[in-house]
Amino acid sequence: MARIGELQAPAATRDALARGRLRASLVPDLLVEARRIVNTVIAGWHGRRKRGIGENFWQFRPYVEGDASRIDWRRSARDDHTYVRDREWEAAHTVWLWADPSPSMLYKSTGAGVSKQSRALVLALAMAELLSRSGERIAWPDLTDPFTARNGAERIAAQLMHAGELPAKPDLSDIRRFCDIVIVSDFLDPAEETMAWLDVLARHGVRAHLIEVADPAEETFPYAGRTEFTDPETGDKLTAGRAETLSEEYRLLYRARREELAAWCKRLGWSFTVNHTDRLASEALVRLHMAMTADDPTAGRAVA
Amino acid sequence: MSWLPLSFGAPMVLWGLLALPVIWWLLRLTPPKPQTEVFPPLRILARVLKREETPQRSPWWLTLLRLLMAALVVSALAEPVFNPREKLPAEGSALALVVDNDWASAADWNKRVATAERLINDAGSNGVPVIIAFTAEKPNAEIGPFDAAAALDRLRAARPRPIPTDRPAVYARVAGALEALPGASVAVLADGLAAKGDEAAFNTLLSKNAARVVWAVADRLSLTGLTSAENQVDGFGLTAIRAPGDPAPAQVTAGAFDDKGRRIADATLTFAPGEATATATMAVPFELRNDFASIALDGERHAGAVRVLDESSKRRRVGLLSQAEADQAQPLLSPLYYIRRALQPFADLVEPSSADLADAIPQILDQKPAMIVMADIGTIPAQVRQRLVDWVDNGGTLVRFAGSRLAAAANDDDLLPVRLRTGERSLGGALSWTSPQPVTEFPKAGPFADLAPPTEVTVSRQVLAEPTPDIVERTWAALADGTPLVTGLKKGKGTLVLFHVTPEATWSNLPISGSFVEMLRRIVQLSRNQGAAIASAEAAATSLAPYRMIAADGSLVPPTPDARPLVPGAGALPVTFENPPGLYGSETGVFAHNLLDAASKFEPLARPQVAVPVTTIQYAFDESRNLKGALVSAALLLMLLDTLAVLWMGGLFSRRPRRAGAAATTAAVLIAIGALFGHADIASADDAKPGDQVAIEAISKTRIAYVLTGVPGDDSISRAGLEGLTRFLIEKTALEPGAPAGVDISKDELSFYPLIYWPIDPAAPMPSQAAIARIDAYMQQGGTVLFDTRDQFANGIGADSTSPATERLRDILGNLNVPPLEPVPSDHVLTKSFFILPEFPGRFAGSPLWVEASLDASNADNRPVRTGDGVSPIMITANDFAGAWAVDENGDPLLPTVPNDPMQRVYALRAGVNIMMYMLTGNYKSDQVHVPILLERLGQ
Repeated sequence: MARIGELQAPAATRDALARGRLRASLVPDLLVEARRIVNTVIAGWHGRRKRGIGENFWQFRPYVEGDASRIDWRRSARDDHTYVRDREWEAAHTVWLWADPSPSMLYKSTGAGVSKQSRALVLALAMAELLSRSGERIAWPDLTDPFTARNGAERIAAQLMHAGELPAKPDLSDIRRFCDIVIVSDFLDPAEETMAWLDVLARHGVRAHLIEVADPAEETFPYAGRTEFTDPETGDKLTAGRAETLSEEYRLLYRARREELAAWCKRLGWSFTVNHTDRLASEALVRLHMAMTADDPTAGRAVA
Repeated sequence: MSWLPLSFGAPMVLWGLLALPVIWWLLRLTPPKPQTEVFPPLRILARVLKREETPQRSPWWLTLLRLLMAALVVSALAEPVFNPREKLPAEGSALALVVDNDWASAADWNKRVATAERLINDAGSNGVPVIIAFTAEKPNAEIGPFDAAAALDRLRAARPRPIPTDRPAVYARVAGALEALPGASVAVLADGLAAKGDEAAFNTLLSKNAARVVWAVADRLSLTGLTSAENQVDGFGLTAIRAPGDPAPAQVTAGAFDDKGRRIADATLTFAPGEATATATMAVPFELRNDFASIALDGERHAGAVRVLDESSKRRRVGLLSQAEADQAQPLLSPLYYIRRALQPFADLVEPSSADLADAIPQILDQKPAMIVMADIGTIPAQVRQRLVDWVDNGGTLVRFAGSRLAAAANDDDLLPVRLRTGERSLGGALSWTSPQPVTEFPKAGPFADLAPPTEVTVSRQVLAEPTPDIVERTWAALADGTPLVTGLKKGKGTLVLFHVTPEATWSNLPISGSFVEMLRRIVQLSRNQGAAIASAEAAATSLAPYRMIAADGSLVPPTPDARPLVPGAGALPVTFENPPGLYGSETGVFAHNLLDAASKFEPLARPQVAVPVTTIQYAFDESRNLKGALVSAALLLMLLDTLAVLWMGGLFSRRPRRAGAAATTAAVLIAIGALFGHADIASADDAKPGDQVAIEAISKTRIAYVLTGVPGDDSISRAGLEGLTRFLIEKTALEPGAPAGVDISKDELSFYPLIYWPIDPAAPMPSQAAIARIDAYMQQGGTVLFDTRDQFANGIGADSTSPATERLRDILGNLNVPPLEPVPSDHVLTKSFFILPEFPGRFAGSPLWVEASLDASNADNRPVRTGDGVSPIMITANDFAGAWAVDENGDPLLPTVPNDPMQRVYALRAGVNIMMYMLTGNYKSDQVHVPILLERLGQ
């Protein structure tokens, strides 16, 4: 019997970058998203070229009765009208991106097109490309501080290439409020552990977007017969006498973990997206995009 | 296991099969190697997989395979035997094997050998000595005791003999040998035929030292033997016997064979139910019967079913005696004329060289005739009379004809069947009122009973028998009035016959009727030869060498070394080891010595009543098969399968890329199968050799060759010269040579070219010895080399001054077998082979053309050309032919001639044409030039 799953070599970041760009090209540019322009509720999200709360000057406009804004007396003094100084809406929004580099992500089953790590990297870099194209500040925990650059994806890719061993769980404690974070992982740890890890984000008011990259074999458990399972992270071994008998129960637990995580995200107003490695990465990208632009934080929560 | 012909040598081992359930349990406990899988959500799975697995089980079919393997091994250890034979209990201090190898055992000899082999093998495994004796063997044959291997060798060397058994003697010897080995098992492998002295023989053998008896008999005595083959009056009488008590009817076919083994007649003998004897008559013409050499029963492969026949059943010798001088002028009045004509087709006639009866009768009697015909002999000389009487008493048939001498002679009771009245009786004469008497029906008792009476025959004179009480039974033929015409009498073993008429047509017309022939033939058939023809007076008492023997299987074979000459004597000759049945004598006359005589009977052999235990076994082939090897092989095969299955389950094969793996496996299996079933070598004989193309080109057209000297200028001039000659040849003659061929004499095949032009250049390297040897061979085999030194004007003035080219030529020729040379004489065929040429100029003129001297050629008749065979293998010139012939592509001459004379070039080309014609036609042209003279002689 042929083996179902195997560990792939880590995807080359350069390769992932190219594929990420390709994926990103399939998603509409974040800037042209009309809804983003309208919705300014969320501080820091793009309302650029538009007056609003911000630090930079935008325009002077004639004061109208009942206008809550303060009159700019310095300008008003120059002529007979009273003016109000409008500031440009501050759009400097920071999106943190992180793809799980753990060995478990290297897994790829026969039914999947790519390994999970490859998919995660593609998603993260595609996001980076999209965001930097639209002028957002992007950052990678433990790797880069937030920066704005047109070639943000490339820079991140370069950094990833030159970075050494990254910690399995990055330090998320210095991510500020109003930031977004995109976490691409397989979230195979018990939900409690994941929640404990991400709790700091919730406490900081960071809006997080969780993308679970799942291999179809992990979900459907197609094993049968006497099988010895190895954990790629710990090297633990488990021997199942008749693997097929376990599938039902395993699937139940697997789904329960995902449901729990999704429910927790929903409660926090975060988005939770599932992407299977046998499906297209663009699907997740579109959903993530929708989730980032949607009013309803739960809009992106769908199982892709 | 009564339902299976299966037995086990070690049945206790079969209890090992009880271990199978344990093995099964153990096999179930041992899990196969698991499939290893990387699985990231292991921690989730770990929560599912809380409880410990029961040990994983092998697939059921693997367990079954291994159980089967174990069962096979256990069964194999139990030594299973298919179709087992009964092993004889190991008893006795020795095994005494007495085997009948007489003629009756020949048919199923192999079965007997197989049975005996088993007995010997058992004895060998028990380690007891074996005494083996054959009852139809030399009386001094060794009988042992042997060990088992030697006994087996003796058994395999033994052959059935075409002779009866000699049980008493052999059994006595065995009993003697058993004196030293009391308590032996005695195995009697009898042929089932009772013989004289059986009871005593068995008593001797079994009474004293035999501990137990193994009695082997055939299922039933199914022999059929031929006891007699008699040449009777109307056919060949055959008698066959079989074992008594067979209730079923049976039919056997007998075939008669001539001396070359061709089957010429058949007869079917039918045994009535319960009858042991069958007779039949092979009704074939008399002439054919004389060709019978042997008679054999079909399907019976033993000596008893074959009878060889000798002279006694063949042509009779008939002596003819007459006292009348043979008058060659009137053959029809010769008394023996009609007798001779009547007897010649079916009898050998013996006539004495002397007319004197005192000489003639012993002469004839020495020939041992079956019958003597006396035409009108009255008185027999006293000194030979007794011999004649003895001859008749011993079986001779004396046929006498009446006549005036007999009528006048005194009565002779010994040599006449009836007493005769003196004088003859005349019927129907001029002075008689009676008419000639016809012949009436033949008497039923006589030998002529079934002949048609010759109604056209009339008798006008006869001698009369004295009426006696027994005259009627002696009468074989009678006239209508009851007087005897032919009388006969058995006397001793012989017969006396008297025809009461003359053997010529004077007294009656009987001798010129067909009945006369029939009657004589019948009498001849009744007669018997009185000995072999070769049994001349002194040889009769000596022995007869074996000539053709009947082998045990009934075939006729050349005599065996054991056969000894047979001394024929009175009484029945026994068939013994020294005198096996067959023909004795030589080609000219043989004596048949047959196995069975008319009194033979097949009596089944009864088992002797003995006190010791008797085991009866049947003759049978050993059909038991030891299954151990097969079972072990099957177990090994299963083990191989098991190994493959385990490897497969362990994922050995899945590690490889599937497609490549499958292809590789398939290829490997195919290769293995190919290796197993031998090499299917495709013998597509590729007999192409390097250089074939060159050879084909060289021989598909006539090409002139030149030697590549290695000097570029020389080679190109040679080529251009031969090219020019080729063009000229095409232009002027019917010869159209191909392009000139340059040959390397050390490598290239030379025999393709009729002429090789060799320009000698001292600048060229000296050819090697091997190359010169090749040139020599080429010249010996019919090729011609044209050496051209091209130094006509380079030689010095002096007679002994030579140019370097000539020196080189001398060096080359020093290693060749050069024939004597001469300049081309004026009447040489070279001067006339195409053009008429007085000389052969090249670029230079004046050098002679040297050819092989035809010393013995004569030109007696002033013919234009000398005769002579062959073509000169060598030509030498100094005129530089090639230089004169050489042309460029446009056909213009390359080199000037010296002196510059256009006609010299033409003559040079003509010389080339003549040389080529001489090469290709040989002395044909020299014959051609004689045609005008021949025509002139014919008067044209």
